[in-house]
Amino acid sequence: MRQLLIDIFSFEDRPRYERIGFLIFIIIVIIFPWIVKSAYGRAVMIKFLLFALFGLGWNLIGGYGGQVDLGQAKNVGFGAYATGLMMLWWGVPFWITVPVGMIIAAAESFGVAYPMFRLKGHYFAIATLCVALVWKELFVFWDWTGGARGVEIPIRSTPDFIYMQFGSPIHYHYFIFFLFITQLLFMNWFRKSKLGYECQAVRDNEDVAASLGINVYRTKVIAYTITGGLGAVGGSFMTVYYLYIDPDFVMPLDLSILIAMTVMVGGAGSMWGPIIGSALLIPLDMYLGAWLGAKKRLGIDFMIYAVIMMVIAAREPKGIWGIIERVRKKRVG
Amino acid sequence: MELTVQLIIYGTLMGLVFALIALGLSLIFGVMNIVNFAHGEFLMVGMYIAYLLSTFLHFDPIISLPLAALAGYLLGIMSYHFLIHHILRGPMVAQLFGTFGLMLFLRYLAMYIFTPDVRSIRTGILVGKVLTLGWVSLDLSKVISAGVCLISFGLVYWMIYRTKLGRALRATSLDSEAAQYMGIDTKKMNALAWGIGGATVALAGSLLAHFYYITPTVGMLFTLIAFAIVALGGFGSITGAFLAGIIIGLIMVLSGHLVSELKFTFIYIVYFLVVIFRPRGFFGW
Amino acid sequence: MLLEVKNLVKEFGGVVANADISLEVEEGRIMGLIGPNGAGKTTLFNCIAGYYRPTRGKVFFNGEEITGWPAHRVAKIGIARTFQGMKTLPNLTVEENVMVGAFCQTSDRQVARRIANEIMELLNLRDEASALPTELPIAIQKRIELGRALATKPKLLMLDEIAAGLNPIETKEIIQTLKRIKEEKGLTLFLTEHIMEFIMSISEVITVMAAGRKIAEGPPELVAKEEKVIEAYLGERYAKGRSD
Repeated sequence: MRQLLIDIFSFEDRPRYERIGFLIFIIIVIIFPWIVKSAYGRAVMIKFLLFALFGLGWNLIGGYGGQVDLGQAKNVGFGAYATGLMMLWWGVPFWITVPVGMIIAAAESFGVAYPMFRLKGHYFAIATLCVALVWKELFVFWDWTGGARGVEIPIRSTPDFIYMQFGSPIHYHYFIFFLFITQLLFMNWFRKSKLGYECQAVRDNEDVAASLGINVYRTKVIAYTITGGLGAVGGSFMTVYYLYIDPDFVMPLDLSILIAMTVMVGGAGSMWGPIIGSALLIPLDMYLGAWLGAKKRLGIDFMIYAVIMMVIAAREPKGIWGIIERVRKKRVG
Repeated sequence: MELTVQLIIYGTLMGLVFALIALGLSLIFGVMNIVNFAHGEFLMVGMYIAYLLSTFLHFDPIISLPLAALAGYLLGIMSYHFLIHHILRGPMVAQLFGTFGLMLFLRYLAMYIFTPDVRSIRTGILVGKVLTLGWVSLDLSKVISAGVCLISFGLVYWMIYRTKLGRALRATSLDSEAAQYMGIDTKKMNALAWGIGGATVALAGSLLAHFYYITPTVGMLFTLIAFAIVALGGFGSITGAFLAGIIIGLIMVLSGHLVSELKFTFIYIVYFLVVIFRPRGFFGW
Repeated sequence: MLLEVKNLVKEFGGVVANADISLEVEEGRIMGLIGPNGAGKTTLFNCIAGYYRPTRGKVFFNGEEITGWPAHRVAKIGIARTFQGMKTLPNLTVEENVMVGAFCQTSDRQVARRIANEIMELLNLRDEASALPTELPIAIQKRIELGRALATKPKLLMLDEIAAGLNPIETKEIIQTLKRIKEEKGLTLFLTEHIMEFIMSISEVITVMAAGRKIAEGPPELVAKEEKVIEAYLGERYAKGRSD
């Protein structure tokens, strides 16, 4: 038990500057709402934490697992709709809907993973795209999920922790921060666990992994299943934060792309990659938009991401974190 | 009965257009084993070019179509030289998000320039006319499009199988190293493949523009359709792309008739089933 | 008999890579497998270790039939193998590389770490524990791969061209290392190699393959003189001239 807690909370195996940097980051996030009072600034921070949350989960299959998944939005959607529909129809408390959403997403992921992992590389990526698109179109087509009209969560007069509705953004800030830290600690445990090492071995060389007793197929399926469950958590948050969800909002292709992209740009396969990627792209998106004015905004932000992506693809597939590590090595060696 | 025949004809016509769309993807994959996520974006570019030339310059399709193809060709070559060439030797992940980045760039460039508004071509000789043969009536634009696609497909096929240049391309796709020893410039072949790929799909786009919605986001849909076709027909197989294109066209039209909102969903499902159960497709390697 | 291969055939489409191969490796021995390029040595390895499914024939390990078993299952019952070329896991440290092997025996990270450290100690890798394999010389990378395989606690260690790329000094060192770990861990070794001095000096028994078939077997000194073997490597004329 004690060992488990150590594994979850300890970052001892990382170099000192990383631990210090991380600590500073955490402190900044914690005191943020007291420094930045503007509604927009707070919204940016919340969105950043949300995408860092998405990224952490995706990093499991995409970074540590090495399988590029372009359909994570379906899992977000499962979580969002599980929360939305259960609250709307039966008034189920938020914290009960979260595990339900996670289980649904994980179960679907497990089912789809078995056939899908016959594929590799590009073909796998396209298949994940197709699966996510099929689900999104189904959710639009079905009436019982609200179809294109979506699901609206009624606003409550009094804030509470049962339905996680609050008056001020400060509560949402700490709420998403809590979810983010939880998933971060989970990933910290994961990367040091047997499964974490097995995933990385599979990513780096499947034949070698098999020679070490690793069931490659099963490892991929498990990684994909867990990622599915993790993605649902962010979806549940979206439902109670935005109070309105529809398939184009919680399950679109663009969301899958953005999630994958923030992690790849930041550095897939490292703990900090998702955080760095989101820290770069989300504020860029939101502030560039404001700065350029609403009309010009459309497209320029993504164009910039796209260029960043292409440059990284050509120069440093390990993303920004890869660049940082390279610089550090040069300094030391 | 009559409806079925109409649907089958319509499906075949669409299939011919799809076949041309998939041709470029198959060719690029065959020659350098890279999967082009931006394929549909080139189509989208073709659409917008046709739109601009028709609507603002009132160019006849006779002129706007070749110009769109030319633009596609140039775009393909440039993409190769500025991006693809540099990621070819990298890990697969890098290749994936290289073409992905290209896709995003083109998509959002279009969104920035044109805004997400839906457009269509409303004037010109191809718009609004109907061809009637017996009890079957078809949009003229679709018939002509299918015809142009068929001819273009034939031209590319002829080039690849009956010309020296085509032989060089085929050699590069079978074994690029050996081809180099034979004196074939691989870089030129790769660029050519991208050029032809871009040209054919932009041409298809310029035709589609006469009867389909034009938006900056239309690219991904056609990329996926192209993927489904190439998967079904076999990656790298030209004949496969042709036959699979027709099949997919028929599937789309027939399933669209049954449940119109899900007509593309069926195509995604087909892709999924094909790659799971028959990853080689029917004719590919 | 630790490993038995009976009438193994492996065909790829029309090509017969392994034709009717039978051999036995006794526990505690060092068996060498040699043959010219294209003889089918790696194919045979892959068939035994579970990367290819034999077209015909059977493989037995410790009396149990393992024909057609998938690679990870074969690894778990005690056959470890290394690969041709440099196959260290590039994104994990040396210690972590070996730990991945150790996880074959346990789920506990601390235990895996302990096993890994013990193995690294045995192979003189402690100093490089936190380095990345790709930054280290080839000779050390080979030891990392050895360590990783050892961490799975095998009874049989199959080595595919482990000496490739090593200079004569390094080759001598690796021979010493292999003999040492064999004694300490009670292993049986089955190696395939091109480099004659290496395999002749370490093997107790040698099997020779050519063009997919087994053409000779026996102690190194005798096998080297067999006409068929010389013919396979150097051609008919030399064979006629050289055999006693």
